[in-house]
Amino acid sequence: MRLNRLTIYGFGQFHDRTFDLRPGLTVFLGANEAGKSTLTQFISAILFGFPTKKHPTLRYEPLDGSRFGGEISFTQDGQDYLVTRVDGPHGGKVTLHNVTSGLKLPATSLSHLLAPMDATLFQQVYAINEPRLAAVFATSKRELVDHLRHVGAVGSDFWLAQASQLDEAANARYKPQGRNPELNRWLLDYRELRAKLERANAAYPKYWELLDQRQQLTQEQATLRATLQAARQRVTTSEQRLAKWPIYQQWRALTTADVPVTTGFDPQDAATLEHLVNQKKVTQESLNHDQQELTTQRQAAQLTPLFQHYLETTDQLASTLAGIPDTLVAAHTVEQARSQQADLEERAGNLERQYAHQGQMPQAFSLATLQEVTQLREELTTANQKRRRLQQNLNDLNEQFRQQQPSRQQRRNPLADKQIGWLAAGLIVLIGSLFLPSAFLKLGGALVGVAVGYYGAFIVSSGTPASQQTDELEAEIRDLQAQLREGTGATTELTNRLDAIGESHGMADVPLAEWATAQGAIAEWERLTRQLEVVTTDLQAAQQAVTDFQKKVGAILPELGDRDLQDQVNQLMDLQRQQQRLATRDSDLSALSERVKRDHTSLEQATKAVMTFLQTRNVPDSQAFYQQYHAVQERDQRQQRRADLAHQLGESDLAALKGVANEAALQATFAQDKQQLTAIQAQIDSGNKRLATLAGQIDQLTASGTQAMLRQKLADLETRMIATTQRWLVDRLASQWIEAALAAASSDRLPQIVAKASEFYGKLTENRYTEIELTETTLRVRRQDGEWRTVSQLSRGTAEQLDFAVKLAFAIVMTQQVQMPVVIDDGLVNFDVQRRHQAYRLLNEISRDTQVILLTADTAIAADIDEQQISQLVD
Amino acid sequence: MKFIHAADLHLDSPFLGLQDLPTSLLTQIRESTFTAATRVFDRALAEQVDFVLLAGDLFDRAEQSVAAQAYLIEQFDRLNQAKIPVVVGFGNHDYLADQHLSITYPDNVTVMGPQVTTVTLNLRDGQTVAISGFSYDQRWVTHDPLAAFPEHAETDWHLGMLHGAVATGSGDHYAPFTVAELLAKRYDYWALGHIHQRQFLNENPPILYAGNTQGRDRTETGERGAYLVTSQDHRLVPVFFPTSALVWTNPALTIETPNPTLAEISDQLATWLTQNFAATPELVVPTLALSKSLSAADQAQMANGDWLALFQRTHRRTMQTAQRVVVAVRWKLPVATAETPQLDTRYWATSADQIFTPGNLQDLFGKLVQEPALAEWFADPTTAPELREGAAKLLAALAGEEDDHAS
Repeated sequence: MRLNRLTIYGFGQFHDRTFDLRPGLTVFLGANEAGKSTLTQFISAILFGFPTKKHPTLRYEPLDGSRFGGEISFTQDGQDYLVTRVDGPHGGKVTLHNVTSGLKLPATSLSHLLAPMDATLFQQVYAINEPRLAAVFATSKRELVDHLRHVGAVGSDFWLAQASQLDEAANARYKPQGRNPELNRWLLDYRELRAKLERANAAYPKYWELLDQRQQLTQEQATLRATLQAARQRVTTSEQRLAKWPIYQQWRALTTADVPVTTGFDPQDAATLEHLVNQKKVTQESLNHDQQELTTQRQAAQLTPLFQHYLETTDQLASTLAGIPDTLVAAHTVEQARSQQADLEERAGNLERQYAHQGQMPQAFSLATLQEVTQLREELTTANQKRRRLQQNLNDLNEQFRQQQPSRQQRRNPLADKQIGWLAAGLIVLIGSLFLPSAFLKLGGALVGVAVGYYGAFIVSSGTPASQQTDELEAEIRDLQAQLREGTGATTELTNRLDAIGESHGMADVPLAEWATAQGAIAEWERLTRQLEVVTTDLQAAQQAVTDFQKKVGAILPELGDRDLQDQVNQLMDLQRQQQRLATRDSDLSALSERVKRDHTSLEQATKAVMTFLQTRNVPDSQAFYQQYHAVQERDQRQQRRADLAHQLGESDLAALKGVANEAALQATFAQDKQQLTAIQAQIDSGNKRLATLAGQIDQLTASGTQAMLRQKLADLETRMIATTQRWLVDRLASQWIEAALAAASSDRLPQIVAKASEFYGKLTENRYTEIELTETTLRVRRQDGEWRTVSQLSRGTAEQLDFAVKLAFAIVMTQQVQMPVVIDDGLVNFDVQRRHQAYRLLNEISRDTQVILLTADTAIAADIDEQQISQLVD
Repeated sequence: MKFIHAADLHLDSPFLGLQDLPTSLLTQIRESTFTAATRVFDRALAEQVDFVLLAGDLFDRAEQSVAAQAYLIEQFDRLNQAKIPVVVGFGNHDYLADQHLSITYPDNVTVMGPQVTTVTLNLRDGQTVAISGFSYDQRWVTHDPLAAFPEHAETDWHLGMLHGAVATGSGDHYAPFTVAELLAKRYDYWALGHIHQRQFLNENPPILYAGNTQGRDRTETGERGAYLVTSQDHRLVPVFFPTSALVWTNPALTIETPNPTLAEISDQLATWLTQNFAATPELVVPTLALSKSLSAADQAQMANGDWLALFQRTHRRTMQTAQRVVVAVRWKLPVATAETPQLDTRYWATSADQIFTPGNLQDLFGKLVQEPALAEWFADPTTAPELREGAAKLLAALAGEEDDHAS
């Protein structure tokens, strides 16, 4: 950058002044208070801004009240610019024009245009004045490096900008002391989340605690349930015992009535006694019986009158007795015959009622009559049949005739007379033959009669000539009529004869058709009548035999006389048997007496046995025995009953009940057990309720996803935090990296500057000092003789010359990067004359590379500098 | 004989490395460890196995999860009703610290004690099997437990159950052992737990880690499950069966455009999703291979998760159809990209060595070290290189902009 002109509107003591500047060295001569420092300050103020009103001495506001500010025209990169700054906020109001292009530029572009130069760099390096040179003692490498870095390497403005952007971005992410940056906020969130998770994690021990509780409770419940079971059992037992109390009472009652045990009264003993008594009784009975028998037999020894009578008449009776069987048979026959007789009479009576005529049975036909009747009936039948046939023929012929001669009167058959004659002859023969004595003759006669009739009726008539059909027919009819009349006559004859026969035999009432049956019945009746006669005869004979027998018995034994036959027979038989028994009686009696004697002995023994039996049991009689026996029986029964009751009670219950004083105690136990049961049940119920509550709590803990959610949130937040931290670190590191790289590049120029400074310092000190060494902390110089001197060992002037040399060297070396005029404001006051001249020459020399503005009160400068380069500050 | 060997159920443990996911997916994720474990127990019931071996880390004690405990009790009860014994040896995450568990678990569950114990089971087919193992009684078991394991018993089979890792020689906290020691016991099977990636340490007799039943962060990729082991001719043959409710995958996608933008990345990712359907729901963390660094603004969007959230919103249907949810994205640049043409490269290199020192990192990290979650991450050995890589990516993006700016 090259400054061309300074135009001051009002600044310090200047107002409306213009200073033109040369491209190389411009010297402004002015005495003290001519405004040398004001001009330096003006350049800094217009380019970099007015100092704030806090430092009024540095502002140089015009004393005469003229307009504060001014303008500078300068050339940068071949372009001419004009910058104007007047009073305003933030360092003054700036206008910037590109004069070359005639464009007005935004005020902010001024700093870009000037970069990397800024007020600080300008004040520290380019604006050289006496007090600042005096500060050389503080100069160190670090400071210099800072200046260098500030000026920068190629493109360092870009990189510096990037670095500052990165720092900004990093600060937006995280500030160690901040609250708002992303990571700071997240760290807070993280702590909160952690705390939340800690709280959620409290569920974990709680969960185990609940599980433990549940486990314990479950075990307790199991124990309780077992207890409950036992209690329930006890209640049941108590209840049962209570129910058994009445039984127990019965059992106890049975116990108190205990009877001493006596032997010999078993049922077996009773059976033995019974047996013995029975034996005695039986013996007694048999004795009695035998004695009675004996008495009976003794009585039977005195015979009845009948038997005595019987014995007297035994001889007479012998034949009678022998006839008993026959008589019995006869008696039997009588009976049989009587019934037969009645039967026959009845049957005959029946027939009589059926067929009898006026109390008279019809007579049976003789064989001849029978034959005659049969024959007559057959003949009658034949004659009737024949007549019907003739009548039929006659009807047919009449019809025929009517058909032939419907109008003609029926004529008499001339032939009929002749035929009737023949027929009558045959009939006469026939009937006449019937009166012949022999059957054969009758038959022969009949045949002859028939033959005669036939001849007359048919042979003769057929021989009759029949010339015409009608005549024939008429003849035929007449013939037939004759035959019919003949047949009717025969029939009547036969009927009459049959009636005659019926009259004679009393069969008038019987129709002809039943004659045959009637004949059978008549024959039967006759047979029955004959049989009746025979039976009656037999009956009379048998009756006679019985009567005879009875008469005989009555004669011999009048006692039996009026008895009936059966009784008589029985008595007789009895008597007979009695007679036989009488023979054996004597031996029987003695045997009986013997038996009675034996019976007595037996009875005695039996009685004794009973007595012995009773005595051994110490009872007077069997009644006493039975009394005792029943007592024993009863006792046994009681014992049995008691055993039954004991069984019913059960061994354990019985034992338990024995220990119980009374029912009330039992009731009390029962109530107590029941109460206990209820208590345990209540305990279990409450346990179950608690278990359910626990299960609910456990479920709730299990189901809650809070923990997992928080953990995942934390993990995610960690991920985010790490990512942000990483980006933050990367930004910071990149920024650091940029600065370090810039520093590295800058410190590379340091040797150049040191070399240049050494050269300038040599020139200024007329080669008294030849070399400058710049270390991390110190700056020292080598004298011509090779001695090293630190800054503090140098004289004030020499030290100022060292700083002057370094600053000029920096400006020259950095001209590649920064082109900024060096403004020297009376900076050489401590230089001696010789060195001041050296300095002027050096400035003139370097002004070929960079613009130099020298403000001085030293007029001696004219010796070293061309006149046209020098301007007077005050007009 | 038939049994199931499972380990590392890690019930109710949160999934790591997730943020801003849809609620439905979060629910699925939260239940996934349970779902996976249920599949193990379902299989045990379906196969009517003789017993189930659980080789540790069933749950994370530090999580103090009621849900995990309630779940285990319930599932053990299911097996109890089917008369299937369960043998449990707790590991470093679920170490035996109190006596709650053994009391509360049903009768079919045998929890190994802190000393090596041998359980003998009589199987339905009349065979006998001895199972030796132990439970951790604290977070670490630093000694080799193998000496305490008995020789092969007189039973038909002898199985070992061990939660631990092969000895490395130093810093072994998890029952360090060697395969040779296991082989020397002449057991028929070693059921191992602790390592989440299933693997065989020996083929015959089988010595293997069942792996975890459900992957829980992006590094636990692929199907997870357990082993169904059956006896075949005097040998035990383990067969893997998957149980994961969700599978993590890290597919690599190359974005070939010269100046990749977020829109292009979205498009390519969407295309990839429509072309690749998953059988089991997947949580996808794709690694994008970029030809050039993203712009700083894009990088910022990518890094702060805005882009991912947008992608998840706009491609929900696509992801649903594919059964894949993109839960994070990582990207890779070609090597040696952090160049600054105008500022000398050596300045960057030398200054990097000054900046990326543990001391400087620690200074920067400052009092954040008091946050345990962050401190743990910071202490991770991969963190420092990641930070350096991140800064390099950022500067590369800025350098690109400087180029644009300069030209």
